[in-house]
Order: sequence, then C-alpha cells, then structure tokens
Amino acid sequence: MNFLNLEELQRLFVFLLRRIFQSIFVLFGLSILIFLLSRVLPGDPARMALGARAPQETIERLREEMRLNDPLLLQYQYWFTNALRGDLGDSLRTRRPVVDDIVEFLPASMELVLLAGVISAIGGITLGTLSARHKDSWIDNLVRIVSYMGVVTPAFVVAIIFLTFFTTAEFGLDLFPPIGRLSSGFEPPPRVTGLYTVDSLLAGQFDTFLDALHHLILPSLALALGSLSQEARITRSTMSDNLTRDYIAAERALGIPERTVTGKFLLKPSLIPTVSIFGLDFAANLSNAFLVEVIFNWPGISRYATTAMLYKDLNAIAAVILILGVTFIVVNILVDLVVGILDPRIRLRGARSD
Amino acid sequence: MRKLLVLTLLLSLVFATTALAQDESQLRITFSWDTDIDPAVGDDFSSSHALANIYDTLVFPNKDAAVDPWVAESWEVSDDFLTVTFNLRQGVLFHDGSELQASDVAYSFDRLRAVGEGYAYLMPDATAEALDDYTVQFTLSQPDPFAVDKMIRLYIANEDVVRANYDMESDLYGEHGDYGRNFLLTNSAGSGPYEVTDYPLVGYLEMRRWDSWWNAENFHANAADVVTYVDTTEAATVRSLMLNDELEITDAWQSIEGLQALDAVDGIDVMAIPSMTSFYYMMNTRLAPLDDVHCRRALAYAYDYDQVVALEWPGTQTMVGPVPQSLGGHTSDLTIYGRDLDKAREELAQCQYADNIADYPIDVHWISQVPFEEQFALLFQANMAEIGVPVNVLSTPWGTVVENAANMETSPHIVTIYVSTDLPEAGLMLQQRYTSPTANTWQQNEWLLDEDLDARITDALLTMDRDERFAKYADLQREIADQSYSLFLYDQLEKHAFKTFVDWRPEENSRVMGYQIFAPYIGVDQ
Repeated sequence: MNFLNLEELQRLFVFLLRRIFQSIFVLFGLSILIFLLSRVLPGDPARMALGARAPQETIERLREEMRLNDPLLLQYQYWFTNALRGDLGDSLRTRRPVVDDIVEFLPASMELVLLAGVISAIGGITLGTLSARHKDSWIDNLVRIVSYMGVVTPAFVVAIIFLTFFTTAEFGLDLFPPIGRLSSGFEPPPRVTGLYTVDSLLAGQFDTFLDALHHLILPSLALALGSLSQEARITRSTMSDNLTRDYIAAERALGIPERTVTGKFLLKPSLIPTVSIFGLDFAANLSNAFLVEVIFNWPGISRYATTAMLYKDLNAIAAVILILGVTFIVVNILVDLVVGILDPRIRLRGARSD
Repeated sequence: MRKLLVLTLLLSLVFATTALAQDESQLRITFSWDTDIDPAVGDDFSSSHALANIYDTLVFPNKDAAVDPWVAESWEVSDDFLTVTFNLRQGVLFHDGSELQASDVAYSFDRLRAVGEGYAYLMPDATAEALDDYTVQFTLSQPDPFAVDKMIRLYIANEDVVRANYDMESDLYGEHGDYGRNFLLTNSAGSGPYEVTDYPLVGYLEMRRWDSWWNAENFHANAADVVTYVDTTEAATVRSLMLNDELEITDAWQSIEGLQALDAVDGIDVMAIPSMTSFYYMMNTRLAPLDDVHCRRALAYAYDYDQVVALEWPGTQTMVGPVPQSLGGHTSDLTIYGRDLDKAREELAQCQYADNIADYPIDVHWISQVPFEEQFALLFQANMAEIGVPVNVLSTPWGTVVENAANMETSPHIVTIYVSTDLPEAGLMLQQRYTSPTANTWQQNEWLLDEDLDARITDALLTMDRDERFAKYADLQREIADQSYSLFLYDQLEKHAFKTFVDWRPEENSRVMGYQIFAPYIGVDQ
C-alpha cells in the first residue's frame, strides 16, 4: 500500500499527536461547561437522590460526602483531580462508582451503535450507488423517497413502528423479541468486551450469539435508518457529480469494465463526504439512542445519561458527557485517517502544510 | 451454497427465541424505575413492591387497615406504651437456609437507622434489643400508637450474609464499612417468598420462588416460579409486551387512553384499586388573594369536580375532605365543596380582594413530568374565568417545584400534587400535609405554620385509644375543610391492565404501598 511509506507514517504520527493535544483542551473546556451546567439544574441533588421524606441529617451527610457544600471552584478541583486518577465519583442514583456504571451500560450501547453503523454504512453506500448508477430511473426515485422519509422520521418513531409491526402478530409479524438483550432462559456470556454478540462467539455459545443478534436487529435498524438515508443521499449526490468528470469518461473510453469503473474509480473518491457524515452520525447515535433504548428496554448509556439528568446525578452526567466527548474526538480522528486513505490529495495537502 | 447458509442463519435468527421452551410459570410486571432492593434504601412504589416480596417483616398489613402477625407470632405493648416486645415464630428460614432470629431483627433496625434512607424516617425513635433468639424488644423514647404498625417497613435482613459482604474499604459507616450497601444493591439477604436471582440494576429484576418460605402453604396454587419486574412504562413497549404474551400486569402509569385500548383486547382487563393517594390543589395561604378564606372558598365552589373525575378512569371518586376515603379515621361529616357558582360568587363578594380581583391573577403550577395534570389546570382556568378570577397555567418541572416549595416567597399560589400516606390512618396524612415541619417541602404548599393545629394533630396521633383518636381526626378534618386550605380533587385509583388468566385479587390485600401486587398470592393460570 503506497500510503504507508516512512515519511507519511511520521506525518501521520505528528498529525495524531496534534489532534490528541487539541482534544485535551476540548475535553477540559467540556468538563468545565458540563460541571457548571449540571449544577444549575433545579433541585438539590442530595434531596432528589434520597427522596422527599429522607431525614435532613441524612441529606446533609450525603451533601458532605459529595462535597456539595464546598465552593463551586473547590468542587471542580476535587472532581478534576479525581477524574485524572480515573475516579469519576459515585453515582447518586445507583450509589456505586460511575466508572462501574459506565462499564455496565456502555457496551450495550456500543453494540447497538456499532451494528447501526454497519447497517447504515453498507445500506447507505449500496442504496446511494444504486441510485447514482440508475440516476433518474424508478430505482433512483424510490431510493430518494425512502431516504427522505428516513431522514425526517425520528428514530423513536421508527422504533415504535418496528415494535408494533415486527414483534406482535396482532398488527404484523411476530418476528423479533420486543425488549432486552437476551431472552429469558439465556445467561449472559462470560464478560470480555461486554458486547453479547462478541462475547458469546468468543465463548463458543452460538445459541446465545443468535439470540443476542436477534434482539439487536430491530433497535439497531431503528437507530440506523436516519444515518443510512443521509449517507445514501450524499453518496448518490457525490457519485452523480463524479460521473460527469473527464477521468471517468476516459476510463470508459479505454474499455475498462463498468463495474471496475464504478467500484474502483468512482466509488472510492465519492465516499469522502459519506465517511465524514458517517463519523458524525456514529458518535451522535451514541447520545441519540435514548428513546430507542427506552422503547426496546435496552440497558444502554444513553438511557442512563438521560435518567441521570432527570435525577440531577452530577457525577454521572459529567462522566457520560466526557465519554461522549471522547467518542466524538476518537471517531473524528479515525474519519480523518480514513479520508486520507481514500483521497491522496488530502494527504499531500496535509503533508505540504506541515 | 453460500445463499443457503445465509438463509439458514436468517431463519434460525427469526426462530431463535420462539424455539425456547418456557417450562416455568412467569409473572412479569412493568414498573417505573429505579428499584432499590436494599431494605435500608428502597421506599418508592417499585422498591416497596420488591422489598415486600423479598423480605419478611414482623407484622403484615391487612385489608382492614390493621396488621396481622407475620414473622412475629405475637407482641406485647407495655402499659406506658414505651416498650414493644415481639415474639418470633421458630423455623423461619433465610434464602441461604439459616434461621431468622431476633438478632437479625435488631440488626436490621440498627442498620436502617444508621443508613437513614428508605423507610428510616418512619421508624419509631427507639432502640432494639434481642432478648433471646426469638424475642426482640423495642424501647421507645416516647409513646407511639403506630409503633407496631410501622414494623411493616422493617424488612428483616440476614445479619451474617450482610456482614460477610461489608466493603471495609469504605469508611462511610465506621466499623461497618459500607454496611453491605454495595452488596445489597443487586443482591438479596431476605427470607421472603421470592429471592433475587438476577438484577443488573436497570432493565429488569428477576426473582425466583423460595419454596422453603415459612408461609409456603399460603402460596397461591399457581404462584409464579419466576417474577420479573420489567423496567419500562413506555406505552408502545408495554402494549407490545401485553399483546405478545410477554407481560402479565402493566405498571400504574399507563394513560387512560392506553388502558382503554388494552381493555378492548380479548384476554386483557383493567384493574382499578383504591389507593391511599389523593390529588390536591395546594393553595399558598400566605399569598393574596388566597390569604383570605372567602377567596379560597370561592375557588372551591367554582371548580367543576364532576368534570375533573370525568377526565379520570371510570369509578374515580371526588375527595371527601382533606384525606383519602380509604384511610382509617376518615369522616364524611364535613363541608363538601361541589360546584355551585352562586355560592362561589357569594364567597367572592365577601373576600377583601373582591373589588379588584382581576389584579390578583392566580398562578397554577402543574408538574411538567405528568402531562395528564394540564387538563385539570386548564379546566380550573376556565371555571375560574366564570367568576372573574384570572388564572395563569404554568408547567413546572418537578425539581423546580421542590425547590420553590422550600421558601414561602417562591411557593406559587397553587401547585397540583398527588400525595400518599405511609400507613392507612387519616392522622398521618393530616400530619404530612398540614403541620409545620412539612411547610417547606413539596408536601405542603399551604404554609399554615399554625402551632395550635400542629399541637392538635400531634395530640390526636398520640392518642392511644383508637375511637378517641379517630374522633379527634374527624374534628381536624372538619376544620381544615371549613378553612378550605386546599382544593380536594379526587382519590386516586391505581390502575393496571392485566391478563385475564392471572388470578389477582388486590382487594383482599392491604392498600399500603407495595402490597397490591404481592406475588405469592397471585396465580398465573396459563
């Protein structure tokens, strides 16, 4: 692969270092913002955690424990120095370290978002390519209508429609289980990654793998439909533009088969905007999955975060938003790398600018 | 060949779940989360239900607003009402097979008091001591007629199991480390009819029948092998689960429309259970024009209560006075405010703000998280317009309501809230609604701060003779109704859709929260 020569590897390393360095400032700013915002929400967090009738001394003890009586700046200092040590504090709601909660709930969401990402990438690129290849035909029109519907329909509406039509025989087909990650009677596989599909395969439990995948399909599809539609439209649009380029005409004139022209010379450069959008959608899905997780009773991080907001669970709010921030940053760095692989001009431009 | 493989995979996926045989009978119920199963932490609706099924208590609430012997076979109260001695039955086994003894009761009481959460606020101010293996004595700091009744909230935990699971890295409770909190977050140490088998904190709580329960002979013949609380109240999900035979009883938070739709399905009925909860419009008696009793009465006479209950589930009844009718000591012999516009105008004319009432718009805050409340507020606004009283309807998040309630200056004219009481006695509702200690909480927007009323309510509560106590409650209810401190809307019915093959008779159970869905008494006759 001509990309990985030594000079470019060095530049890649410098690029990564620079992005990571910038990210530290972004995360620092984000932490201050979230810390302050979570504290201006109405209500006393200790009172909300302990209930309306908890004795005042118990509330005071919790406030002391959480250092809520200290000045805001001091509170932030405690939180920040502990966070640097990997201690994000205890959740007011679950009463255990927030890190434990994240380890518990993040994999469930990751599994959902990863499959949604795979569905939206494959589906979006396939539909976009089909649409571009058959521009202005009935296929193109059909994909356009479906894509517009997918873009404008919120994921939770799709989730409700799926739930209504694909989980009960009354209105449709009883094809998929309505809630949860596993059917009753299945034990979760031994934990390695927390992703049931992966862990069950690693443990050689094929039945559990099938059951986990079975539960995963509907919520992932519901979550994927919006980004799939968006990616289909963008792929179609970029491919259509590129189709009129001279180099495509030249390749056709040289007698290169149409499939090779589309797959190798047309699709690859056309994917750059799609990949950029995919990266944003992927990270956004992690936080936007709340209603899908609620509807399918999926024990994920998005649902955890929203409940944390409602309960004013300060440490949980801050931790989850930091995790989401890190995810956004990592995914965007990966997207930049993939775009560099797809388009040598961007690499070269990047090299020159260094 | 490859296509055949893909097809096989897809088909096996579709039938993966349905191929599973379900030999065990199941009772699945949706609940509004969180569910705290630590007996010193849980105190809300779902937690109380879970705790009642996992843990035993000394006494058990019955349908007659009293208590029956349970783990305690009998008890004696000293003449000065300062000592209560419980005699425990022998042979009560915890889920690990060890015997429940008096020391476990004393330990559970100490732990509840030390943690200070859950139902700790309800416990009498007392010390507990195990006199021998089967006798436990509570010494109270002052007489308390409810000392025995309150023991329905002392869930007895297995001391050895909890001690063995202390996290000593925590210094939260001194020599007790974390007092076993981390362990009891997701595990049980009880002796009740069901034992926790799987609890990932969110999603679901799975409990399995404990066949060595001391009261096993009273299990319903078809009591479920496995009881699962499902963490959702989302209407579409609940409906799908019911239609798909994956849920037997729904939560109590489904909308009227949702319940009506489920009720129309064959094999599903709706159960409406009288509760100990009522819906109040709490009026701030320190804010003009509500600081004048005539203005308050004018509002009370102008509101259309028939329309109010028509918006609720059929069978819902208007409140009669300031406490739910299901409580012991409730009286109907008091001023009842029905809609009467002539009387409303008469009262308004006597109000000191009558001449310029338009200058005193009344803010009504309804809870944003309960959208159902808005329609009542809008009806109120329309009704008050008929007597010329301007009303602003405002949606307010619960957190803000609680914060506003902390100060007289920030408490609005009216806030609309459902309030329930812990034990089925009228005096306890009067105490939490109208005495000074609750004046800065969401339980009282009235800001009465009336020392005389406080003293009379306390006196009534400390009256040991039941008839005498109830007579005092009646006087208090009459006075509060006469002063029209609040608008009394309706006694809430707790509504659940359920599968008709479920043999569930909540009317035979206590109305105390947590005992309506007592799993051992419910049959799943699939």
